[in-house]
Amino acid sequence: MSALLAVRGVSKRFGGLQALSNVTFGVDHREIVGIIGPNGAGKTTLFNVITGVYAPDLGRVELRGMDVTGWAPHRICRLGAARTFQIGKPFAALSVLQTVRIGALNRIDSMAGATARALEVLELVGLAGKRDDLGRHLTVIERKRLELARALATGPALLLLDEVAAGLRPNEIQEMIALVRRIAAGGVSVLIIEHVLEAVMRLSARIVVLNYGEVIAEGTPQSLVNDPRVIEAYLGEAYTLA
Amino acid sequence: MKGRLAVGVVALGVAAAVPLVAGQHLLTAFIVALHAAYMALAWNVAAGYAGQFSLGHSLFYGIGAYASTMLYLKLGLTPWVGMFAGAALAGVVGVLLALGVYRYNVRGIFFALVTLGAAEVAKGLADNWHWIKGPVGILLTMKAAPAEFFFLRREPYYYVALAMVVAMVAISLVLERSRLGQHFLAVREDEAAAEASGVDTHRAKTVAIGLSAALTAFAGSFYAQFYLYVSPETVLTFEPQLTMMLGTMVGGAGTALGPVLGSVLFSGLGEALRNLPFENTRQVVIGSKLVYAILLIVILIYLPGGLITLGRRRA
Repeated sequence: MSALLAVRGVSKRFGGLQALSNVTFGVDHREIVGIIGPNGAGKTTLFNVITGVYAPDLGRVELRGMDVTGWAPHRICRLGAARTFQIGKPFAALSVLQTVRIGALNRIDSMAGATARALEVLELVGLAGKRDDLGRHLTVIERKRLELARALATGPALLLLDEVAAGLRPNEIQEMIALVRRIAAGGVSVLIIEHVLEAVMRLSARIVVLNYGEVIAEGTPQSLVNDPRVIEAYLGEAYTLA
Repeated sequence: MKGRLAVGVVALGVAAAVPLVAGQHLLTAFIVALHAAYMALAWNVAAGYAGQFSLGHSLFYGIGAYASTMLYLKLGLTPWVGMFAGAALAGVVGVLLALGVYRYNVRGIFFALVTLGAAEVAKGLADNWHWIKGPVGILLTMKAAPAEFFFLRREPYYYVALAMVVAMVAISLVLERSRLGQHFLAVREDEAAAEASGVDTHRAKTVAIGLSAALTAFAGSFYAQFYLYVSPETVLTFEPQLTMMLGTMVGGAGTALGPVLGSVLFSGLGEALRNLPFENTRQVVIGSKLVYAILLIVILIYLPGGLITLGRRRA
Protein backbone atom coordinates (compact mmCIF):
# COMPACT_ATOMS: atom_id res chain seq x y z
CA MET A 1 0.00 0.00 0.00
CA SER A 2 1.33 3.43 -0.87
CA ALA A 3 1.63 5.94 1.93
CA LEU A 4 -0.14 9.29 1.81
CA LEU A 5 3.13 11.09 2.49
CA ALA A 6 6.60 9.68 1.99
CA VAL A 7 9.69 11.69 2.86
CA ARG A 8 12.75 9.93 1.45
CA GLY A 9 16.29 10.85 2.40
CA VAL A 10 15.64 14.57 2.63
CA SER A 11 18.58 16.88 3.41
CA LYS A 12 18.54 20.66 3.63
CA ARG A 13 21.42 22.96 4.43
CA PHE A 14 21.38 26.69 5.27
CA GLY A 15 24.91 28.04 5.01
CA GLY A 16 26.87 26.29 7.72
CA LEU A 17 23.81 24.73 9.34
CA GLN A 18 22.72 21.26 8.32
CA ALA A 19 19.02 21.75 9.11
CA LEU A 20 17.94 18.31 7.89
CA SER A 21 20.04 15.30 7.05
CA ASN A 22 18.74 12.18 5.40
CA VAL A 23 15.28 12.35 6.93
CA THR A 24 13.02 9.46 5.99
CA PHE A 25 9.53 8.74 7.32
CA GLY A 26 5.95 8.49 6.13
CA VAL A 27 2.35 9.12 7.03
CA ASP A 28 -0.39 6.66 6.13
CA HIS A 29 -3.99 7.36 5.31
CA ARG A 30 -6.05 8.28 8.38
CA GLU A 31 -2.98 8.31 10.61
CA ILE A 32 -1.90 10.92 13.17
CA VAL A 33 1.89 11.23 13.33
CA GLY A 34 3.78 13.47 15.74
CA ILE A 35 7.15 15.13 15.30
CA ILE A 36 9.04 16.11 18.43
CA GLY A 37 12.53 17.36 19.09
CA PRO A 38 14.32 20.21 20.82
CA ASN A 39 14.29 23.75 19.43
CA GLY A 40 16.34 23.99 16.27
CA ALA A 41 16.01 20.27 15.53
CA GLY A 42 14.64 21.02 12.05
CA LYS A 43 10.93 20.39 12.63
CA THR A 44 9.62 23.53 10.96
CA THR A 45 12.22 23.22 8.17
CA LEU A 46 10.84 19.74 7.55
CA PHE A 47 7.34 21.23 7.23
CA ASN A 48 8.68 23.85 4.86
CA VAL A 49 10.27 21.19 2.67
CA ILE A 50 7.13 19.04 2.66
CA THR A 51 4.87 21.97 1.75
CA GLY A 52 7.15 23.36 -0.96
CA VAL A 53 8.44 26.50 0.76
CA TYR A 54 11.97 25.12 0.35
CA ALA A 55 13.20 22.57 -2.15
CA PRO A 56 15.41 19.96 -0.44
CA ASP A 57 19.10 19.74 -1.39
CA LEU A 58 18.80 15.97 -1.53
CA GLY A 59 15.97 13.47 -1.31
CA ARG A 60 12.36 13.40 -2.39
CA VAL A 61 8.92 14.17 -1.07
CA GLU A 62 6.01 12.10 -2.34
CA LEU A 63 2.39 13.00 -1.74
CA ARG A 64 -0.48 10.73 -2.78
CA GLY A 65 1.97 8.73 -4.88
CA MET A 66 3.30 11.75 -6.78
CA ASP A 67 6.80 13.17 -6.58
CA VAL A 68 6.15 16.75 -5.41
CA THR A 69 9.80 17.68 -4.75
CA GLY A 70 10.35 21.28 -5.82
CA TRP A 71 6.65 22.02 -6.42
CA ALA A 72 5.32 25.48 -5.48
CA PRO A 73 3.35 25.55 -2.20
CA HIS A 74 0.00 26.27 -3.87
CA ARG A 75 0.31 23.16 -6.05
CA ILE A 76 1.03 21.01 -3.03
CA CYS A 77 -1.97 22.57 -1.31
CA ARG A 78 -4.11 21.77 -4.34
CA LEU A 79 -2.89 18.18 -4.31
CA GLY A 80 -3.94 17.88 -0.69
CA ALA A 81 -1.40 18.93 1.95
CA ALA A 82 -2.25 22.03 3.99
CA ARG A 83 -0.18 23.50 6.81
CA THR A 84 -0.56 25.96 9.62
CA PHE A 85 2.20 28.41 10.49
CA GLN A 86 3.85 28.25 13.89
CA ILE A 87 3.77 32.02 14.07
CA GLY A 88 0.25 32.72 12.87
CA LYS A 89 0.08 34.62 9.60
CA PRO A 90 -3.37 36.16 9.75
CA PHE A 91 -4.56 38.22 6.82
CA ALA A 92 -4.43 41.34 9.02
CA ALA A 93 -6.92 43.50 7.15
CA LEU A 94 -9.33 40.68 6.27
CA SER A 95 -12.11 39.27 8.41
CA VAL A 96 -11.98 35.76 9.86
CA LEU A 97 -14.67 34.65 7.42
CA GLN A 98 -12.83 36.13 4.41
CA THR A 99 -9.60 34.42 5.44
CA VAL A 100 -11.17 30.99 5.79
CA ARG A 101 -13.16 31.50 2.60
CA ILE A 102 -9.91 32.05 0.69
CA GLY A 103 -8.84 28.63 1.95
CA ALA A 104 -12.19 27.12 0.92
CA LEU A 105 -11.82 28.55 -2.61
CA ASN A 106 -9.03 26.00 -3.06
CA ARG A 107 -11.62 23.30 -3.76
CA ILE A 108 -14.83 25.26 -4.31
CA ASP A 109 -15.12 27.67 -7.24
CA SER A 110 -18.27 29.56 -6.25
CA MET A 111 -18.12 32.28 -3.61
CA ALA A 112 -21.43 31.17 -2.09
CA GLY A 113 -20.22 27.57 -1.78
CA ALA A 114 -16.90 28.68 -0.31
CA THR A 115 -18.67 30.93 2.20
CA ALA A 116 -20.88 28.06 3.32
CA ARG A 117 -17.86 25.75 3.70
CA ALA A 118 -15.95 28.46 5.60
CA LEU A 119 -18.84 28.88 8.05
CA GLU A 120 -18.91 25.12 8.67
CA VAL A 121 -15.19 25.09 9.41
CA LEU A 122 -15.45 28.14 11.69
CA GLU A 123 -18.22 26.37 13.60
CA LEU A 124 -15.97 23.31 13.96
CA VAL A 125 -12.98 25.23 15.34
CA GLY A 126 -15.14 27.45 17.55
CA LEU A 127 -14.53 30.76 15.77
CA ALA A 128 -18.04 31.23 14.38
CA GLY A 129 -18.69 34.10 16.79
CA LYS A 130 -15.61 35.93 15.51
CA ARG A 131 -16.45 35.67 11.81
CA ASP A 132 -16.48 39.43 11.24
CA ASP A 133 -13.40 40.28 13.31
CA LEU A 134 -10.30 41.39 11.44
CA GLY A 135 -7.22 39.17 11.58
CA ARG A 136 -5.18 41.85 13.33
CA HIS A 137 -7.64 42.03 16.22
CA LEU A 138 -7.42 38.36 17.16
CA THR A 139 -5.63 37.02 20.23
CA VAL A 140 -2.75 34.56 19.81
CA ILE A 141 -5.06 31.65 20.60
CA GLU A 142 -7.66 32.82 18.12
CA ARG A 143 -4.96 33.19 15.47
CA LYS A 144 -3.98 29.56 16.01
CA ARG A 145 -7.59 28.52 15.54
CA LEU A 146 -7.84 30.72 12.46
CA GLU A 147 -4.68 29.11 11.02
CA LEU A 148 -6.22 25.70 11.62
CA ALA A 149 -9.52 26.78 10.05
CA ARG A 150 -7.84 28.29 6.99
CA ALA A 151 -5.76 25.15 6.43
CA LEU A 152 -8.70 22.81 7.02
CA ALA A 153 -10.93 24.79 4.64
CA THR A 154 -8.57 24.00 1.74
CA GLY A 155 -9.87 20.42 1.94
CA PRO A 156 -6.59 18.60 2.67
CA ALA A 157 -5.94 14.86 2.78
CA LEU A 158 -2.98 15.67 5.04
CA LEU A 159 -3.03 18.46 7.60
CA LEU A 160 0.32 19.68 8.95
CA LEU A 161 -0.03 21.41 12.31
CA ASP A 162 2.89 23.46 13.59
CA GLU A 163 2.57 23.88 17.37
CA VAL A 164 -1.12 24.53 17.56
CA ALA A 165 -1.23 23.73 21.29
CA ALA A 166 1.71 25.93 22.34
CA GLY A 167 0.70 28.70 24.71
CA LEU A 168 -2.72 27.23 25.43
CA ARG A 169 -4.10 26.80 28.95
CA PRO A 170 -4.70 23.22 30.14
CA ASN A 171 -8.43 23.26 29.37
CA GLU A 172 -7.73 24.76 25.94
CA ILE A 173 -5.22 21.98 25.26
CA GLN A 174 -7.96 19.46 25.97
CA GLU A 175 -10.21 21.28 23.52
CA MET A 176 -7.46 21.32 20.89
CA ILE A 177 -6.85 17.59 21.33
CA ALA A 178 -10.56 16.91 20.91
CA LEU A 179 -10.65 19.15 17.84
CA VAL A 180 -7.71 17.40 16.14
CA ARG A 181 -9.32 14.04 16.88
CA ARG A 182 -12.57 15.22 15.33
CA ILE A 183 -10.71 16.40 12.22
CA ALA A 184 -8.86 13.07 11.95
CA ALA A 185 -12.13 11.17 12.42
CA GLY A 186 -13.36 12.96 9.31
CA GLY A 187 -10.71 11.10 7.28
CA VAL A 188 -7.88 13.64 7.34
CA SER A 189 -4.38 12.46 8.18
CA VAL A 190 -2.47 14.73 10.55
CA LEU A 191 1.22 15.43 10.93
CA ILE A 192 1.75 17.40 14.10
CA ILE A 193 4.76 19.29 15.46
CA GLU A 194 4.24 19.90 19.13
CA HIS A 195 6.14 20.87 22.23
CA VAL A 196 3.15 20.27 24.45
CA LEU A 197 3.94 16.61 25.09
CA GLU A 198 0.58 15.78 26.50
CA ALA A 199 -1.05 16.77 23.23
CA VAL A 200 1.39 14.98 20.94
CA MET A 201 1.59 11.84 23.09
CA ARG A 202 -2.14 11.47 23.38
CA LEU A 203 -2.91 12.25 19.75
CA SER A 204 -0.21 10.42 17.81
CA ALA A 205 -0.26 6.80 16.81
CA ARG A 206 3.42 7.16 15.95
CA ILE A 207 6.05 9.76 16.77
CA VAL A 208 9.19 10.76 14.89
CA VAL A 209 11.97 12.27 17.04
CA LEU A 210 14.29 14.78 15.37
CA ASN A 211 17.57 16.03 16.79
CA TYR A 212 20.10 18.17 14.89
CA GLY A 213 18.18 17.49 11.69
CA GLU A 214 18.30 13.72 12.00
CA VAL A 215 15.65 11.18 12.88
CA ILE A 216 16.99 9.65 16.09
CA ALA A 217 13.99 7.53 16.95
CA GLU A 218 10.57 6.58 15.69
CA GLY A 219 7.80 4.58 17.30
CA THR A 220 4.69 4.57 19.43
CA PRO A 221 4.49 7.16 22.21
CA GLN A 222 4.76 4.35 24.77
CA SER A 223 7.98 2.99 23.28
CA LEU A 224 9.62 6.42 23.03
CA VAL A 225 9.18 7.59 26.60
CA ASN A 226 11.51 4.79 27.68
CA ASP A 227 14.04 5.29 24.90
CA PRO A 228 17.29 6.61 26.44
CA ARG A 229 18.25 8.55 23.25
CA VAL A 230 14.96 10.41 23.30
CA ILE A 231 15.22 11.12 27.00
CA GLU A 232 18.70 12.50 26.58
CA ALA A 233 17.91 14.62 23.54
CA TYR A 234 14.54 15.95 24.41
CA LEU A 235 12.53 14.74 27.35
CA GLY A 236 15.31 15.48 29.82
CA GLU A 237 13.85 13.15 32.39
CA ALA A 238 11.69 10.09 32.46
CA TYR A 239 8.23 10.96 31.21
CA THR A 240 5.22 8.91 32.17
CA LEU A 241 2.14 8.81 30.04
CA ALA A 242 -0.83 10.15 31.89
CA MET B 1 -28.25 46.41 0.34
CA LYS B 2 -31.40 48.08 -0.98
CA GLY B 3 -30.44 51.29 0.81
CA ARG B 4 -27.03 51.29 -0.85
CA LEU B 5 -28.57 50.64 -4.25
CA ALA B 6 -30.93 53.58 -3.72
CA VAL B 7 -28.02 55.85 -2.76
CA GLY B 8 -26.18 54.70 -5.88
CA VAL B 9 -29.13 55.43 -8.15
CA VAL B 10 -29.63 58.89 -6.62
CA ALA B 11 -25.90 59.70 -6.92
CA LEU B 12 -25.95 58.59 -10.55
CA GLY B 13 -29.06 60.67 -11.21
CA VAL B 14 -27.41 63.75 -9.71
CA ALA B 15 -24.21 63.10 -11.69
CA ALA B 16 -26.20 62.69 -14.91
CA ALA B 17 -27.96 66.01 -14.30
CA VAL B 18 -24.73 68.01 -13.77
CA PRO B 19 -24.39 69.17 -17.43
CA LEU B 20 -27.89 70.64 -17.23
CA VAL B 21 -26.84 73.16 -14.59
CA ALA B 22 -23.04 73.48 -14.85
CA GLY B 23 -21.38 75.96 -17.19
CA GLN B 24 -18.58 74.94 -19.56
CA HIS B 25 -15.82 75.83 -17.11
CA LEU B 26 -17.35 73.89 -14.21
CA LEU B 27 -18.14 71.00 -16.54
CA THR B 28 -14.46 70.78 -17.50
CA ALA B 29 -13.58 70.56 -13.82
CA PHE B 30 -16.05 67.68 -13.41
CA ILE B 31 -14.60 65.89 -16.44
CA VAL B 32 -11.10 66.20 -14.98
CA ALA B 33 -12.39 64.84 -11.66
CA LEU B 34 -14.11 61.85 -13.26
CA HIS B 35 -11.04 61.12 -15.37
CA ALA B 36 -8.89 61.17 -12.21
CA ALA B 37 -11.38 58.87 -10.47
CA TYR B 38 -11.23 56.37 -13.34
CA MET B 39 -7.41 56.35 -13.34
CA ALA B 40 -7.32 55.91 -9.58
CA LEU B 41 -9.72 52.95 -9.75
CA ALA B 42 -7.65 51.32 -12.51
CA TRP B 43 -4.44 51.64 -10.46
CA ASN B 44 -6.35 50.46 -7.38
CA VAL B 45 -6.88 47.05 -9.02
CA ALA B 46 -3.15 46.31 -8.73
CA ALA B 47 -2.13 48.52 -5.80
CA GLY B 48 -5.26 48.53 -3.64
CA TYR B 49 -6.60 45.00 -4.05
CA ALA B 50 -3.49 42.97 -4.91
CA GLY B 51 -0.98 45.12 -2.98
CA GLN B 52 1.29 45.54 -6.01
CA PHE B 53 2.31 49.14 -5.46
CA SER B 54 3.28 50.10 -8.99
CA LEU B 55 4.79 53.54 -9.52
CA GLY B 56 5.01 53.00 -13.27
CA HIS B 57 1.38 53.22 -14.31
CA SER B 58 2.10 56.35 -16.36
CA LEU B 59 3.64 53.86 -18.79
CA PHE B 60 0.27 52.18 -19.36
CA TYR B 61 -1.51 55.53 -19.46
CA GLY B 62 0.96 56.69 -22.11
CA ILE B 63 0.56 53.50 -24.12
CA GLY B 64 -3.19 54.08 -24.21
CA ALA B 65 -2.81 57.70 -25.29
CA TYR B 66 -0.24 56.98 -28.00
CA ALA B 67 -1.83 53.74 -29.27
CA SER B 68 -5.27 55.18 -30.04
CA THR B 69 -3.65 58.34 -31.45
CA MET B 70 -1.18 56.58 -33.76
CA LEU B 71 -3.77 54.05 -34.93
CA TYR B 72 -6.00 56.96 -35.91
CA LEU B 73 -3.28 58.99 -37.63
CA LYS B 74 -1.59 56.13 -39.48
CA LEU B 75 -4.48 53.76 -40.18
CA GLY B 76 -7.53 55.96 -39.80
CA LEU B 77 -8.87 53.65 -37.09
CA THR B 78 -11.47 55.38 -34.93
CA PRO B 79 -10.25 55.88 -31.32
CA TRP B 80 -13.45 54.16 -30.16
CA VAL B 81 -11.78 50.97 -31.39
CA GLY B 82 -8.19 52.17 -31.03
CA MET B 83 -8.55 52.51 -27.27
CA PHE B 84 -9.28 48.78 -27.00
CA ALA B 85 -6.13 48.08 -29.02
CA GLY B 86 -4.25 50.37 -26.62
CA ALA B 87 -5.68 48.49 -23.66
CA ALA B 88 -4.66 45.16 -25.16
CA LEU B 89 -1.13 46.43 -25.81
CA ALA B 90 -0.82 47.88 -22.31
CA GLY B 91 -2.11 44.59 -20.88
CA VAL B 92 0.55 42.64 -22.78
CA VAL B 93 3.29 45.06 -21.69
CA GLY B 94 2.02 44.83 -18.11
CA VAL B 95 2.06 41.03 -18.15
CA LEU B 96 5.56 40.91 -19.66
CA LEU B 97 6.83 43.43 -17.10
CA ALA B 98 5.22 41.43 -14.29
CA LEU B 99 6.65 38.13 -15.54
CA GLY B 100 10.12 39.66 -15.64
CA VAL B 101 9.87 41.36 -12.28
CA TYR B 102 8.26 38.49 -10.37
CA ARG B 103 10.60 35.98 -11.98
CA TYR B 104 13.34 37.55 -9.87
CA ASN B 105 11.13 37.82 -6.76
CA VAL B 106 11.19 41.61 -6.75
CA ARG B 107 8.71 42.76 -4.09
CA GLY B 108 7.44 45.70 -2.11
CA ILE B 109 9.53 48.85 -2.34
CA PHE B 110 11.81 47.26 -4.94
CA PHE B 111 8.83 46.42 -7.11
CA ALA B 112 7.72 50.06 -6.84
CA LEU B 113 11.17 51.27 -7.89
CA VAL B 114 11.47 48.88 -10.83
CA THR B 115 8.08 49.95 -12.20
CA LEU B 116 9.02 53.60 -11.71
CA GLY B 117 12.17 52.92 -13.70
CA ALA B 118 10.18 51.20 -16.46
CA ALA B 119 8.01 54.31 -16.88
CA GLU B 120 11.12 56.53 -16.99
CA VAL B 121 12.65 54.32 -19.67
CA ALA B 122 9.42 54.58 -21.67
CA LYS B 123 9.52 58.38 -21.44
CA GLY B 124 13.14 58.40 -22.61
CA LEU B 125 12.25 56.19 -25.56
CA ALA B 126 9.25 58.32 -26.49
CA ASP B 127 11.33 61.50 -26.32
CA ASN B 128 13.71 60.04 -28.88
CA TRP B 129 11.28 58.23 -31.14
CA HIS B 130 10.84 60.25 -34.30
CA TRP B 131 7.84 58.25 -35.58
CA ILE B 132 5.75 59.52 -32.66
CA LYS B 133 7.20 63.04 -32.96
CA GLY B 134 9.54 62.80 -29.94
CA PRO B 135 9.26 65.48 -27.28
CA VAL B 136 7.26 67.80 -29.56
CA GLY B 137 4.22 65.59 -29.22
CA ILE B 138 1.26 65.03 -31.50
CA LEU B 139 -1.53 67.47 -32.14
CA LEU B 140 -4.70 65.61 -33.09
CA THR B 141 -7.05 67.00 -35.68
CA MET B 142 -10.23 65.00 -35.93
CA LYS B 143 -12.71 64.99 -38.79
CA ALA B 144 -15.95 63.18 -37.97
CA ALA B 145 -17.42 64.36 -34.71
CA PRO B 146 -19.00 61.52 -32.69
CA ALA B 147 -17.76 58.62 -34.85
CA GLU B 148 -14.13 59.40 -34.02
CA PHE B 149 -14.51 59.93 -30.25
CA PHE B 150 -14.45 63.66 -30.77
CA PHE B 151 -17.06 66.18 -29.70
CA LEU B 152 -17.48 69.89 -30.19
CA ARG B 153 -19.12 70.36 -26.81
CA ARG B 154 -18.12 69.35 -23.29
CA GLU B 155 -21.30 67.44 -22.43
CA PRO B 156 -20.54 64.25 -24.40
CA TYR B 157 -17.04 64.06 -22.86
CA TYR B 158 -18.64 64.38 -19.46
CA TYR B 159 -20.97 61.45 -20.12
CA VAL B 160 -18.17 59.30 -21.52
CA ALA B 161 -16.04 60.03 -18.43
CA LEU B 162 -19.01 59.28 -16.16
CA ALA B 163 -19.73 56.01 -17.99
CA MET B 164 -16.07 55.00 -17.61
CA VAL B 165 -16.18 55.62 -13.84
CA VAL B 166 -19.46 53.72 -13.46
CA ALA B 167 -18.04 50.80 -15.45
CA MET B 168 -14.84 50.84 -13.39
CA VAL B 169 -16.77 50.87 -10.09
CA ALA B 170 -18.82 47.93 -11.39
CA ILE B 171 -15.63 46.06 -12.38
CA SER B 172 -14.21 46.71 -8.89
CA LEU B 173 -17.37 45.43 -7.19
CA VAL B 174 -17.44 42.28 -9.35
CA LEU B 175 -13.74 41.74 -8.65
CA GLU B 176 -14.30 42.05 -4.89
CA ARG B 177 -16.92 39.32 -5.09
CA SER B 178 -14.89 36.95 -7.28
CA ARG B 179 -12.39 34.19 -6.61
CA LEU B 180 -9.72 36.20 -8.44
CA GLY B 181 -10.40 39.24 -6.26
CA GLN B 182 -10.13 37.13 -3.10
CA HIS B 183 -6.80 35.80 -4.39
CA PHE B 184 -5.63 39.39 -4.93
CA LEU B 185 -6.47 40.22 -1.30
CA ALA B 186 -4.66 37.12 -0.03
CA VAL B 187 -1.54 38.08 -2.00
CA ARG B 188 -1.69 41.62 -0.62
CA GLU B 189 -2.01 40.41 2.97
CA ASP B 190 0.62 37.66 3.07
CA GLU B 191 2.13 35.79 0.15
CA ALA B 192 3.33 32.78 2.17
CA ALA B 193 -0.10 32.29 3.76
CA ALA B 194 -1.74 32.82 0.36
CA GLU B 195 0.41 30.06 -1.20
CA ALA B 196 -0.41 27.81 1.75
CA SER B 197 -4.10 28.43 1.02
CA GLY B 198 -3.71 27.20 -2.56
CA VAL B 199 -3.32 30.62 -4.19
CA ASP B 200 -0.91 30.77 -7.14
CA THR B 201 0.58 34.09 -6.02
CA HIS B 202 2.81 34.46 -9.06
CA ARG B 203 -0.14 34.12 -11.40
CA ALA B 204 -2.42 36.35 -9.29
CA LYS B 205 0.15 39.17 -9.24
CA THR B 206 0.76 38.91 -12.99
CA VAL B 207 -2.97 38.99 -13.74
CA ALA B 208 -3.40 41.97 -11.38
CA ILE B 209 -0.74 44.01 -13.18
CA GLY B 210 -1.97 43.03 -16.66
CA LEU B 211 -5.59 43.83 -15.86
CA SER B 212 -4.76 47.09 -14.13
CA ALA B 213 -2.47 48.13 -17.01
CA ALA B 214 -5.14 47.46 -19.64
CA LEU B 215 -7.77 49.40 -17.68
CA THR B 216 -5.36 52.31 -17.17
CA ALA B 217 -4.74 52.56 -20.93
CA PHE B 218 -8.39 53.51 -21.55
CA ALA B 219 -7.78 56.61 -19.43
CA GLY B 220 -4.83 57.53 -21.65
CA SER B 221 -6.97 57.28 -24.79
CA PHE B 222 -9.62 59.44 -23.15
CA TYR B 223 -6.98 62.03 -22.30
CA ALA B 224 -5.80 62.12 -25.93
CA GLN B 225 -9.33 62.58 -27.24
CA PHE B 226 -10.22 65.25 -24.68
CA TYR B 227 -7.13 67.44 -25.01
CA LEU B 228 -6.30 66.40 -28.61
CA TYR B 229 -2.62 66.59 -27.75
CA VAL B 230 -0.25 63.81 -26.67
CA SER B 231 3.39 64.23 -25.67
CA PRO B 232 5.86 62.45 -23.38
CA GLU B 233 5.76 65.50 -21.13
CA THR B 234 2.00 65.19 -20.57
CA VAL B 235 1.26 61.45 -20.48
CA LEU B 236 4.54 59.74 -19.60
CA THR B 237 5.68 61.84 -16.64
CA PHE B 238 4.96 61.09 -13.00
CA GLU B 239 1.86 63.35 -13.07
CA PRO B 240 -0.71 60.71 -14.10
CA GLN B 241 0.78 58.31 -11.53
CA LEU B 242 0.49 60.99 -8.84
CA THR B 243 -3.16 61.59 -9.72
CA MET B 244 -3.89 57.86 -9.37
CA MET B 245 -2.09 57.58 -6.03
CA LEU B 246 -3.45 60.70 -4.36
CA GLY B 247 -7.06 59.84 -5.08
CA THR B 248 -6.65 56.20 -4.08
CA MET B 249 -4.64 56.67 -0.90
CA VAL B 250 -6.74 59.56 0.38
CA GLY B 251 -10.09 58.00 -0.54
CA GLY B 252 -9.28 54.44 0.51
CA ALA B 253 -7.16 51.83 -1.28
CA GLY B 254 -8.70 48.43 -1.93
CA THR B 255 -12.26 49.74 -2.03
CA ALA B 256 -14.55 50.42 -5.00
CA LEU B 257 -15.66 53.90 -3.94
CA GLY B 258 -12.69 55.27 -1.98
CA PRO B 259 -10.65 56.20 -5.09
CA VAL B 260 -13.68 58.05 -6.50
CA LEU B 261 -14.14 59.97 -3.27
CA GLY B 262 -10.45 60.89 -3.02
CA SER B 263 -10.12 61.88 -6.67
CA VAL B 264 -13.19 64.10 -6.62
CA LEU B 265 -11.93 65.74 -3.44
CA PHE B 266 -8.50 66.42 -4.91
CA SER B 267 -9.86 67.70 -8.20
CA GLY B 268 -12.29 69.98 -6.39
CA LEU B 269 -9.48 71.22 -4.18
CA GLY B 270 -7.32 71.91 -7.23
CA GLU B 271 -10.16 73.87 -8.79
CA ALA B 272 -10.70 75.88 -5.61
CA LEU B 273 -7.00 76.70 -5.30
CA ARG B 274 -6.89 77.95 -8.86
CA ASN B 275 -9.40 80.62 -7.93
CA LEU B 276 -7.30 81.98 -5.09
CA PRO B 277 -5.51 85.28 -5.78
CA PHE B 278 -2.17 83.91 -6.97
CA GLU B 279 0.04 86.14 -9.10
CA ASN B 280 0.95 83.55 -11.73
CA THR B 281 0.53 79.93 -12.76
CA ARG B 282 3.80 78.89 -11.17
CA GLN B 283 2.51 79.97 -7.79
CA VAL B 284 -0.72 78.05 -8.32
CA VAL B 285 1.18 74.86 -9.15
CA ILE B 286 3.56 75.15 -6.22
CA GLY B 287 0.78 76.24 -3.86
CA SER B 288 -1.54 73.38 -4.76
CA LYS B 289 1.24 70.78 -4.53
CA LEU B 290 1.96 72.05 -1.02
CA VAL B 291 -1.68 71.73 -0.02
CA TYR B 292 -1.95 68.24 -1.59
CA ALA B 293 1.14 67.04 0.24
CA ILE B 294 -0.03 68.34 3.61
CA LEU B 295 -3.50 66.86 3.12
CA LEU B 296 -2.01 63.51 2.10
CA ILE B 297 0.23 63.40 5.18
CA VAL B 298 -2.59 64.34 7.56
CA ILE B 299 -4.98 61.75 6.13
CA LEU B 300 -2.43 58.95 6.02
CA ILE B 301 -1.57 59.58 9.68
CA TYR B 302 -5.08 59.95 11.07
CA LEU B 303 -7.07 57.86 8.58
CA PRO B 304 -4.69 55.27 7.12
CA GLY B 305 -7.60 53.42 5.53
CA GLY B 306 -8.65 56.59 3.69
CA LEU B 307 -11.70 58.82 3.92
CA ILE B 308 -14.00 55.90 3.12
CA THR B 309 -13.32 54.44 6.59
CA LEU B 310 -15.01 57.47 8.19
CA GLY B 311 -18.33 55.86 7.39
CA ARG B 312 -17.48 52.61 9.15
CA ARG B 313 -17.47 51.90 12.83
CA ARG B 314 -14.09 52.62 14.39
CA ALA B 315 -12.42 49.46 15.62
